[in-house]
Amino acid sequence: MPLVAAFALPHTPQLLVRPPTEDRELVLRVHAAYAEVKRRLVAARPDVVAVIAGDHIEGFFLNAVPALAVFVGARASGEFGRYRYAFDVHEPLARTIVEQGIEAGFDLTYSQDVPLDYAFYVPLHFTMPEPRLPIVPLYVNVYLPPQPAPRRCYAWGQALRRILDARPERVALVASGGLSHFPGTDRYSSPDFDFDRALLASLAEGRGAETARLTGEELDKAGNVELRTWITLLGAAGDARAEVLCYEPSWHHGNAVVAWPVGA
Amino acid sequence: MESHYFFPPASAYPLNRFLFALKSNTAVRERYAAAPDATMREHGLDDAARGALGAGDRDRLVALGAHPYLVFMAQVRLTMARDPGSFEYF
Repeated sequence: MPLVAAFALPHTPQLLVRPPTEDRELVLRVHAAYAEVKRRLVAARPDVVAVIAGDHIEGFFLNAVPALAVFVGARASGEFGRYRYAFDVHEPLARTIVEQGIEAGFDLTYSQDVPLDYAFYVPLHFTMPEPRLPIVPLYVNVYLPPQPAPRRCYAWGQALRRILDARPERVALVASGGLSHFPGTDRYSSPDFDFDRALLASLAEGRGAETARLTGEELDKAGNVELRTWITLLGAAGDARAEVLCYEPSWHHGNAVVAWPVGA
Repeated sequence: MESHYFFPPASAYPLNRFLFALKSNTAVRERYAAAPDATMREHGLDDAARGALGAGDRDRLVALGAHPYLVFMAQVRLTMARDPGSFEYF
Protein backbone atom coordinates (compact mmCIF):
# COMPACT_ATOMS: atom_id res chain seq x y z
CA MET A 1 0.00 0.00 0.00
CA PRO A 2 1.16 3.53 -0.54
CA LEU A 3 1.48 5.65 2.59
CA VAL A 4 -1.85 6.92 3.84
CA ALA A 5 -0.55 9.84 5.92
CA ALA A 6 2.69 11.65 6.74
CA PHE A 7 3.30 14.13 9.53
CA ALA A 8 6.19 15.76 11.35
CA LEU A 9 5.57 16.52 15.01
CA PRO A 10 7.46 18.05 17.93
CA HIS A 11 8.05 16.04 21.09
CA THR A 12 9.55 18.44 23.57
CA PRO A 13 8.58 17.13 27.02
CA GLN A 14 7.36 20.56 28.12
CA LEU A 15 4.34 19.92 25.88
CA LEU A 16 3.42 16.93 28.06
CA VAL A 17 4.62 18.16 31.44
CA ARG A 18 4.55 21.94 31.50
CA PRO A 19 6.89 23.69 33.92
CA PRO A 20 6.10 27.29 34.91
CA THR A 21 8.78 28.50 32.49
CA GLU A 22 6.56 27.62 29.50
CA ASP A 23 3.88 29.82 27.97
CA ARG A 24 0.65 27.92 28.59
CA GLU A 25 -1.18 29.45 25.62
CA LEU A 26 1.61 28.45 23.26
CA VAL A 27 1.54 24.90 24.61
CA LEU A 28 -2.23 24.76 24.03
CA ARG A 29 -1.85 26.01 20.47
CA VAL A 30 0.55 23.14 19.75
CA HIS A 31 -1.95 20.77 21.38
CA ALA A 32 -4.61 22.09 18.99
CA ALA A 33 -2.35 21.22 16.05
CA TYR A 34 -1.80 17.76 17.53
CA ALA A 35 -5.59 17.39 17.71
CA GLU A 36 -5.87 18.21 14.02
CA VAL A 37 -3.24 15.56 13.26
CA LYS A 38 -5.19 13.05 15.32
CA ARG A 39 -8.36 13.89 13.40
CA ARG A 40 -6.55 13.36 10.11
CA LEU A 41 -4.96 10.14 11.33
CA VAL A 42 -8.37 8.74 12.18
CA ALA A 43 -9.67 9.77 8.76
CA ALA A 44 -6.71 8.10 7.00
CA ARG A 45 -7.61 4.72 8.62
CA PRO A 46 -4.04 3.44 8.98
CA ASP A 47 -3.32 -0.09 10.21
CA VAL A 48 -0.04 0.97 11.78
CA VAL A 49 1.83 4.13 12.72
CA ALA A 50 5.53 4.03 11.90
CA VAL A 51 7.36 6.66 13.94
CA ILE A 52 10.81 7.92 12.98
CA ALA A 53 12.44 9.50 16.02
CA GLY A 54 15.83 10.31 17.41
CA ASP A 55 16.96 8.60 20.57
CA HIS A 56 17.68 11.08 23.36
CA ILE A 57 20.19 8.66 24.83
CA GLU A 58 17.15 7.14 26.55
CA GLY A 59 17.17 3.76 24.88
CA PHE A 60 20.67 3.47 23.53
CA PHE A 61 23.68 4.59 25.53
CA LEU A 62 27.42 4.50 24.87
CA ASN A 63 27.51 0.70 25.03
CA ALA A 64 26.23 0.76 21.44
CA VAL A 65 25.28 3.71 19.25
CA PRO A 66 23.25 2.59 16.24
CA ALA A 67 22.96 5.03 13.35
CA LEU A 68 19.64 3.57 12.20
CA ALA A 69 17.63 1.08 14.23
CA VAL A 70 14.26 -0.64 14.33
CA PHE A 71 12.45 -1.91 17.39
CA VAL A 72 11.17 -5.41 16.70
CA GLY A 73 9.87 -6.46 20.10
CA ALA A 74 6.27 -7.32 20.93
CA ARG A 75 5.62 -4.18 22.93
CA ALA A 76 7.50 -0.91 23.17
CA SER A 77 7.34 0.80 26.54
CA GLY A 78 8.77 3.82 28.27
CA GLU A 79 8.06 6.16 31.16
CA PHE A 80 8.36 9.82 31.93
CA GLY A 81 7.61 11.05 35.43
CA ARG A 82 4.13 9.78 36.29
CA TYR A 83 3.42 8.66 32.72
CA ARG A 84 3.75 5.04 31.64
CA TYR A 85 3.43 4.05 28.01
CA ALA A 86 3.28 0.71 26.27
CA PHE A 87 2.39 0.26 22.61
CA ASP A 88 1.93 -2.92 20.65
CA VAL A 89 4.48 -3.20 17.89
CA HIS A 90 3.44 -4.35 14.41
CA GLU A 91 5.97 -7.14 14.40
CA PRO A 92 5.49 -8.41 10.82
CA LEU A 93 6.02 -4.93 9.41
CA ALA A 94 8.92 -4.13 11.75
CA ARG A 95 10.63 -7.38 10.84
CA THR A 96 10.10 -6.82 7.13
CA ILE A 97 11.63 -3.35 7.41
CA VAL A 98 14.73 -4.82 9.06
CA GLU A 99 15.08 -7.67 6.61
CA GLN A 100 14.43 -5.72 3.45
CA GLY A 101 16.27 -2.64 4.70
CA ILE A 102 19.41 -4.71 5.21
CA GLU A 103 18.88 -6.39 1.85
CA ALA A 104 18.71 -2.91 0.31
CA GLY A 105 22.11 -2.02 1.78
CA PHE A 106 21.18 -0.26 5.03
CA ASP A 107 22.98 -2.00 7.89
CA LEU A 108 20.20 -1.55 10.41
CA THR A 109 20.45 -2.35 14.07
CA TYR A 110 17.44 -4.00 15.57
CA SER A 111 16.44 -4.41 19.17
CA GLN A 112 13.82 -6.33 21.09
CA ASP A 113 14.81 -4.75 24.38
CA VAL A 114 15.21 -1.00 24.41
CA PRO A 115 13.11 1.49 26.38
CA LEU A 116 10.90 3.68 24.25
CA ASP A 117 12.20 7.24 24.07
CA TYR A 118 9.86 10.14 24.82
CA ALA A 119 10.38 11.31 21.25
CA PHE A 120 8.02 8.46 20.38
CA TYR A 121 5.41 8.69 23.10
CA VAL A 122 4.99 12.45 23.56
CA PRO A 123 3.51 12.92 20.06
CA LEU A 124 1.60 9.63 20.34
CA HIS A 125 0.13 10.78 23.67
CA PHE A 126 -1.67 13.52 21.77
CA THR A 127 -2.30 11.96 18.35
CA MET A 128 -2.85 8.21 18.75
CA PRO A 129 -6.36 7.22 17.56
CA GLU A 130 -8.59 5.08 19.77
CA PRO A 131 -8.54 2.16 19.80
CA ARG A 132 -4.80 2.36 19.68
CA LEU A 133 -2.94 1.26 16.60
CA PRO A 134 0.26 -0.77 16.66
CA ILE A 135 3.43 1.14 15.99
CA VAL A 136 6.85 0.56 14.45
CA PRO A 137 9.59 2.57 16.20
CA LEU A 138 12.30 3.61 13.76
CA TYR A 139 15.39 5.15 15.33
CA VAL A 140 17.79 7.65 13.82
CA ASN A 141 20.83 8.69 15.83
CA VAL A 142 20.64 12.46 16.20
CA TYR A 143 22.53 13.32 19.40
CA LEU A 144 25.67 11.18 19.47
CA PRO A 145 28.21 12.13 16.78
CA PRO A 146 29.00 10.99 14.25
CA GLN A 147 25.32 10.90 13.24
CA PRO A 148 24.18 9.60 9.86
CA ALA A 149 24.55 12.16 7.08
CA PRO A 150 21.36 13.88 5.90
CA ARG A 151 21.78 12.32 2.44
CA ARG A 152 21.90 8.90 4.09
CA CYS A 153 18.75 9.63 6.06
CA TYR A 154 17.01 10.72 2.86
CA ALA A 155 18.13 7.57 1.05
CA TRP A 156 16.90 5.45 3.95
CA GLY A 157 13.53 7.18 3.69
CA GLN A 158 13.39 6.37 -0.02
CA ALA A 159 14.20 2.73 0.67
CA LEU A 160 11.63 2.67 3.45
CA ARG A 161 8.99 3.94 1.06
CA ARG A 162 9.73 1.13 -1.39
CA ILE A 163 9.43 -1.41 1.41
CA LEU A 164 6.14 0.05 2.67
CA ASP A 165 4.64 0.35 -0.81
CA ALA A 166 5.01 -3.40 -1.30
CA ARG A 167 3.24 -4.23 1.99
CA PRO A 168 -0.48 -4.82 2.50
CA GLU A 169 -0.77 -2.52 5.54
CA ARG A 170 -2.01 1.05 5.42
CA VAL A 171 0.90 2.92 7.02
CA ALA A 172 0.93 6.38 8.55
CA LEU A 173 4.45 7.76 8.81
CA VAL A 174 5.35 10.21 11.55
CA ALA A 175 8.66 12.02 11.98
CA SER A 176 9.22 13.19 15.55
CA GLY A 177 11.62 16.04 16.14
CA GLY A 178 12.59 19.65 15.92
CA LEU A 179 12.68 22.21 15.00
CA SER A 180 15.51 24.42 16.26
CA HIS A 181 16.57 23.85 19.86
CA PHE A 182 19.84 23.42 21.74
CA PRO A 183 19.14 21.48 24.94
CA GLY A 184 21.99 21.42 27.43
CA THR A 185 24.09 24.02 25.64
CA ASP A 186 24.75 27.73 26.05
CA ARG A 187 22.54 28.32 23.01
CA TYR A 188 19.43 26.96 24.76
CA SER A 189 17.63 30.29 24.90
CA SER A 190 18.57 31.38 21.36
CA PRO A 191 17.36 28.87 18.75
CA ASP A 192 17.71 29.59 15.04
CA PHE A 193 14.13 30.41 14.09
CA ASP A 194 15.24 31.97 10.80
CA PHE A 195 16.54 28.57 9.71
CA ASP A 196 13.20 27.02 10.67
CA ARG A 197 11.13 29.55 8.76
CA ALA A 198 13.24 29.20 5.61
CA LEU A 199 13.00 25.43 5.89
CA LEU A 200 9.22 25.44 6.33
CA ALA A 201 8.82 27.79 3.36
CA SER A 202 10.87 25.45 1.16
CA LEU A 203 8.93 22.40 2.33
CA ALA A 204 5.66 24.18 1.56
CA GLU A 205 6.95 24.58 -1.99
CA GLY A 206 7.63 20.86 -2.26
CA ARG A 207 11.40 21.24 -2.08
CA GLY A 208 11.93 18.59 0.58
CA ALA A 209 14.59 16.82 -1.46
CA GLU A 210 16.90 19.78 -0.88
CA THR A 211 17.24 18.77 2.78
CA ALA A 212 19.33 15.81 1.63
CA ARG A 213 22.03 18.31 0.69
CA LEU A 214 22.31 19.81 4.17
CA THR A 215 25.43 18.86 6.09
CA GLY A 216 25.63 17.56 9.62
CA GLU A 217 27.57 20.68 10.53
CA GLU A 218 24.77 22.90 9.26
CA LEU A 219 22.20 20.97 11.27
CA ASP A 220 24.25 21.24 14.45
CA LYS A 221 24.82 24.95 13.92
CA ALA A 222 21.08 25.55 13.43
CA GLY A 223 20.00 23.50 16.45
CA ASN A 224 18.39 21.06 14.06
CA VAL A 225 20.21 17.79 14.65
CA GLU A 226 16.75 16.19 14.94
CA LEU A 227 15.87 17.27 11.40
CA ARG A 228 17.36 13.91 10.38
CA THR A 229 14.02 12.35 11.31
CA TRP A 230 12.18 14.78 9.02
CA ILE A 231 14.72 14.19 6.24
CA THR A 232 14.11 10.46 6.52
CA LEU A 233 10.37 11.08 6.21
CA LEU A 234 10.98 13.39 3.24
CA GLY A 235 12.81 10.58 1.49
CA ALA A 236 9.60 8.60 1.84
CA ALA A 237 7.13 11.42 1.17
CA GLY A 238 8.90 12.70 -1.94
CA ASP A 239 8.11 16.14 -3.31
CA ALA A 240 4.66 16.53 -1.83
CA ARG A 241 4.04 20.11 -0.71
CA ALA A 242 4.02 20.39 3.05
CA GLU A 243 1.15 21.97 4.90
CA VAL A 244 2.38 23.75 8.02
CA LEU A 245 -0.32 23.24 10.66
CA CYS A 246 1.55 25.29 13.23
CA TYR A 247 4.86 26.91 13.88
CA GLU A 248 5.17 28.09 17.47
CA PRO A 249 8.60 29.30 18.51
CA SER A 250 8.97 29.32 22.29
CA TRP A 251 11.87 30.85 24.21
CA HIS A 252 13.90 27.70 23.54
CA HIS A 253 12.20 25.63 20.84
CA GLY A 254 10.70 25.91 17.36
CA ASN A 255 7.57 23.76 17.63
CA ALA A 256 6.39 22.76 14.18
CA VAL A 257 3.51 20.52 13.15
CA VAL A 258 3.53 19.66 9.45
CA ALA A 259 1.44 17.43 7.20
CA TRP A 260 2.19 16.04 3.75
CA PRO A 261 -0.63 15.06 1.40
CA VAL A 262 0.55 11.55 0.61
CA GLY A 263 -2.77 9.78 1.00
CA ALA A 264 -4.57 8.26 -1.94
CA MET B 1 34.30 25.54 16.46
CA GLU B 2 33.40 22.30 18.19
CA SER B 3 29.85 21.21 17.43
CA HIS B 4 27.18 21.68 20.10
CA TYR B 5 26.80 17.91 20.32
CA PHE B 6 30.30 16.50 20.20
CA PHE B 7 31.88 13.07 20.20
CA PRO B 8 31.91 11.96 23.83
CA PRO B 9 35.53 11.62 24.99
CA ALA B 10 36.36 8.29 26.57
CA SER B 11 37.74 10.13 29.60
CA ALA B 12 34.21 11.37 30.34
CA TYR B 13 32.62 7.93 30.26
CA PRO B 14 32.13 7.60 34.05
CA LEU B 15 30.51 11.04 34.14
CA ASN B 16 28.23 10.31 31.18
CA ARG B 17 27.34 6.92 32.57
CA PHE B 18 26.37 8.53 35.86
CA LEU B 19 24.29 11.25 34.16
CA PHE B 20 22.55 8.51 32.20
CA ALA B 21 21.78 6.63 35.42
CA LEU B 22 20.61 9.82 37.08
CA LYS B 23 18.04 10.51 34.39
CA SER B 24 17.01 6.90 33.76
CA ASN B 25 17.12 5.17 37.11
CA THR B 26 14.78 6.21 39.90
CA ALA B 27 16.78 4.43 42.60
CA VAL B 28 19.99 6.20 41.59
CA ARG B 29 18.15 9.52 41.49
CA GLU B 30 16.74 8.99 44.98
CA ARG B 31 20.10 7.90 46.35
CA TYR B 32 21.74 10.96 44.78
CA ALA B 33 19.12 13.27 46.28
CA ALA B 34 19.79 11.80 49.73
CA ALA B 35 23.58 11.58 49.53
CA PRO B 36 24.99 13.31 46.46
CA ASP B 37 28.70 13.13 47.15
CA ALA B 38 28.68 9.51 48.31
CA THR B 39 26.61 8.50 45.29
CA MET B 40 28.98 10.23 42.89
CA ARG B 41 31.96 8.52 44.55
CA GLU B 42 30.26 5.13 44.27
CA HIS B 43 29.90 5.75 40.55
CA GLY B 44 33.58 6.57 40.13
CA LEU B 45 33.36 10.31 39.53
CA ASP B 46 36.61 12.19 40.07
CA ASP B 47 37.02 15.45 41.98
CA ALA B 48 36.42 17.68 38.96
CA ALA B 49 33.25 15.87 37.92
CA ARG B 50 31.88 15.79 41.48
CA GLY B 51 32.58 19.49 41.88
CA ALA B 52 30.89 20.45 38.61
CA LEU B 53 27.87 18.24 39.11
CA GLY B 54 27.51 19.17 42.76
CA ALA B 55 27.46 22.83 41.73
CA GLY B 56 25.01 22.12 38.90
CA ASP B 57 27.43 23.88 36.58
CA ARG B 58 26.43 22.92 33.05
CA ASP B 59 29.33 24.65 31.34
CA ARG B 60 31.92 22.96 33.54
CA LEU B 61 30.26 19.58 33.04
CA VAL B 62 30.24 20.03 29.28
CA ALA B 63 33.87 21.18 29.37
CA LEU B 64 34.70 17.91 31.14
CA GLY B 65 33.13 16.00 28.25
CA ALA B 66 29.62 15.48 29.59
CA HIS B 67 27.08 15.14 26.81
CA PRO B 68 24.98 18.34 26.90
CA TYR B 69 21.77 16.43 26.43
CA LEU B 70 22.49 14.14 29.38
CA VAL B 71 23.22 17.16 31.56
CA PHE B 72 19.94 18.72 30.45
CA MET B 73 17.72 15.70 30.98
CA ALA B 74 19.33 14.67 34.28
CA GLN B 75 18.46 18.16 35.51
CA VAL B 76 14.88 17.96 34.17
CA ARG B 77 14.23 14.62 35.85
CA LEU B 78 15.80 15.71 39.13
CA THR B 79 13.53 18.77 39.13
CA MET B 80 10.46 16.70 38.28
CA ALA B 81 11.24 14.33 41.16
CA ARG B 82 11.99 17.14 43.62
CA ASP B 83 9.11 19.43 42.80
CA PRO B 84 6.35 17.55 40.94
CA GLY B 85 3.70 20.06 41.99
CA SER B 86 5.27 22.81 39.92
CA PHE B 87 4.33 21.11 36.62
CA GLU B 88 1.09 20.97 34.70
CA TYR B 89 0.36 17.45 33.42
CA PHE B 90 -1.52 16.95 30.15
